[in-house]
Amino acid sequence: MAKGILGDASLHFDELNKLRILDPEVAQQTIELKEECKAFVDKIAEFQKIVGSLIELVDQLAKAAENEKMKAIGARNLLKSIAKQREAQQQQLQALITEKKMQLERYRVEYETLCKIEADQNEFIDQFIFQK
Amino acid sequence: MLRSTLAQQGTPVYSVAWGPDSEKVLYTSGKQLIIKPLQPNAKVLQWKAHDGVILKLDWNSVNDLILSAGEDCKYKVWDSYGRLLYSSQPHDYPITSVAWAPDGELFAVGSFHTLRLCDKTGWSYALEKPNTGSIFNIAWSIDGTQIAGACGNGHVIFAHVVEQRWEWKNFEITLTKRRTMEVRNVINDAVDLLEFRDRVIKASLNYGHLVVSTSLQCYVFSTKNWNTPLIFDLKEGTVSLILQAERHFLLIDGGGIYLYSYEGRLISSPKFPGMRTDVLNAQTVSLSNDTLAIKDKADEKVIYLFEALSGKPLGDGKPLTHKTEITEIALDQKGLTNERKIVFIDKNRDLYITSVKRFGKEQKIIKIGTMAHTLAWNDTSNILCGLQDTRFTVWYYPNTVYVDKDLLPKTLYEKDASEFSKNPQIVRFVGNQVTIRRADGSLIHLNISPYPAILHEYVSSSKWEDAVRLCRFVKDQTMWACLAAMAVANKDMTTAEIAYASIGDIDKVQYINSIKELPSKESRMAHILLFSGNIQDAEMLLLQAGLIYQAIQVNINLYNWDRALELAVKHKTHVDTVLGYRQKFLEDFGKKETNKRFLQYAEGLEVDWDKIKAKIEMEIAKERERAAATPAVRASVTVQR
Repeated sequence: MAKGILGDASLHFDELNKLRILDPEVAQQTIELKEECKAFVDKIAEFQKIVGSLIELVDQLAKAAENEKMKAIGARNLLKSIAKQREAQQQQLQALITEKKMQLERYRVEYETLCKIEADQNEFIDQFIFQK
Repeated sequence: MLRSTLAQQGTPVYSVAWGPDSEKVLYTSGKQLIIKPLQPNAKVLQWKAHDGVILKLDWNSVNDLILSAGEDCKYKVWDSYGRLLYSSQPHDYPITSVAWAPDGELFAVGSFHTLRLCDKTGWSYALEKPNTGSIFNIAWSIDGTQIAGACGNGHVIFAHVVEQRWEWKNFEITLTKRRTMEVRNVINDAVDLLEFRDRVIKASLNYGHLVVSTSLQCYVFSTKNWNTPLIFDLKEGTVSLILQAERHFLLIDGGGIYLYSYEGRLISSPKFPGMRTDVLNAQTVSLSNDTLAIKDKADEKVIYLFEALSGKPLGDGKPLTHKTEITEIALDQKGLTNERKIVFIDKNRDLYITSVKRFGKEQKIIKIGTMAHTLAWNDTSNILCGLQDTRFTVWYYPNTVYVDKDLLPKTLYEKDASEFSKNPQIVRFVGNQVTIRRADGSLIHLNISPYPAILHEYVSSSKWEDAVRLCRFVKDQTMWACLAAMAVANKDMTTAEIAYASIGDIDKVQYINSIKELPSKESRMAHILLFSGNIQDAEMLLLQAGLIYQAIQVNINLYNWDRALELAVKHKTHVDTVLGYRQKFLEDFGKKETNKRFLQYAEGLEVDWDKIKAKIEMEIAKERERAAATPAVRASVTVQR
């Protein structure tokens, strides 16, 4: 009876006979809910942490990939220009070779005239000896 | 402050240079080069120089040559009349800079990744390929040993000239580093290293001595001993020219000309008004044991002559003056001071010889060659060699022109020189070896006969019999011709007779014989002079000896009637003789007397041939008597009589 009256006045007794405003059952459920919520929040936070580190990692990978990409482009360009560089180098070396060849030609001419002088002088000596 | 605008044109002027005399300016106009004199009305010289835009030019004040470089990837060398002397092969990139070394012997060329060192004749000594980008400008250091280049990649490149080489007889010297020389004796392959405290600026190797100037000191080495050089300090740092003679050497720096002995003693320091030492080079200064010749730069027709030992002007102090501009001079190295000769090439490329000593009267300047580009005297005897047009010529005895001009062609040695290509230069003439540098830079060695040098030696010590024997041994017309000229020059008529007979100049042999028969020494001397064509000297000699008739007769024989009559009238003798011969001459040629003076004297005189002949005989008898009175004279005329 009394329960009914109390119930009307939205007052309840719990098992320990203490007076409660909320229905103990509801209170029980509320607490459970609260706990469940807390667990959920925790899980979510953990999830966020994990996702964060994942993003970081992916970022790093992206950066590394970008680097490699640039490197690859650079290498490709270098490869393209090395042909030109070689050409230029070859040109330079060719110029140096031409120079040396000219010098060689000069020496050859000088050598030939010196040989001629030697021949002349030998002839002269022979002549001189025979005439004596 | 802007004084005036010299020129205005539609294209940019990329480069400009002053002319050597500071009266002309050279600048670029697209593919053209323009020489603009500062005087407003003077003629402008303009020519197309390159197939591309000209980027750079330079004009050297010492050798008067112009350098140009352009986008057609070539560099070219021009003379100041716009004649092309050298054009390079096309390079891979436009030539962006050219610069003369201060002494005008070398120039540097800059291009993309390229630095080149070239000789003034255009061929290249060395090529470097530094990583510089285009070299936009090149500057030489004042001593001509270093260059600095402004590079397109923002750097400045420094370079030093090394590996210069000097050769003399069996020695070969190379500047291996800036301060180190390597001396190689080719005979035994011995190598000496010479170290210097400062960098080497100029060096010269000749006459058994090596003279090296560094920035502070001068070193004199003897080829006999490389270990102990003689060292003395220089007054001014940069020596621009070293010239050697057998006994001393000449140093030229910015301040003056100094003559030193090989012992390092300062002998003299010649000076002349308006002297500029910075423009002197080996072509415009010549040194011998007793004489120094310097071509004036202000008036290029003038050569100053100095006594080497005192540094004073020679003779009356008047310089030697020619009628056109002179380009190259050279003194002979041997023989007596009195017979010192100078040869020079003028602007028309004619080769002249003249005596250095001038005794009051003007000495004859005689032309002995044409189209001569280059010449050199021998170091041990007075033999001259030169290149005339396409012929290589050796004058075995250039003095011949003063003795018997007709004989000169016979004393020459000629050889075709077309194989030396365009514009060869004689580098040196040592012993009997001539070294010539071709336009492409290669050295050519030529051998000439050793006999003329031996002949010179015999003659200089008056060994006439040996000389004749040598000529008989060689059996060469050239040798006999040289001997003939030498004998006449030294008044040894016996040898001259033999020599002339050997070359078949019978007329001259006869004349020599007739000279021998002359009664007095003076007559003989006079006729020897006549033989060499020195009419004035001969006449003077006769008059001084009081042989008036002989002097008159000489003039009569030369159909020099006016002078003969003048002498006869002046000395009041033999007027009738002159008139007689004149009449005979006129009759022979069927002419009438037109000369007023002869008409005047002919009026009062009767020509009587008997009387004339008697008078002539009397004169000859008189001369004979005089000669008999002084018999000792006879022997001194010719040594071997």
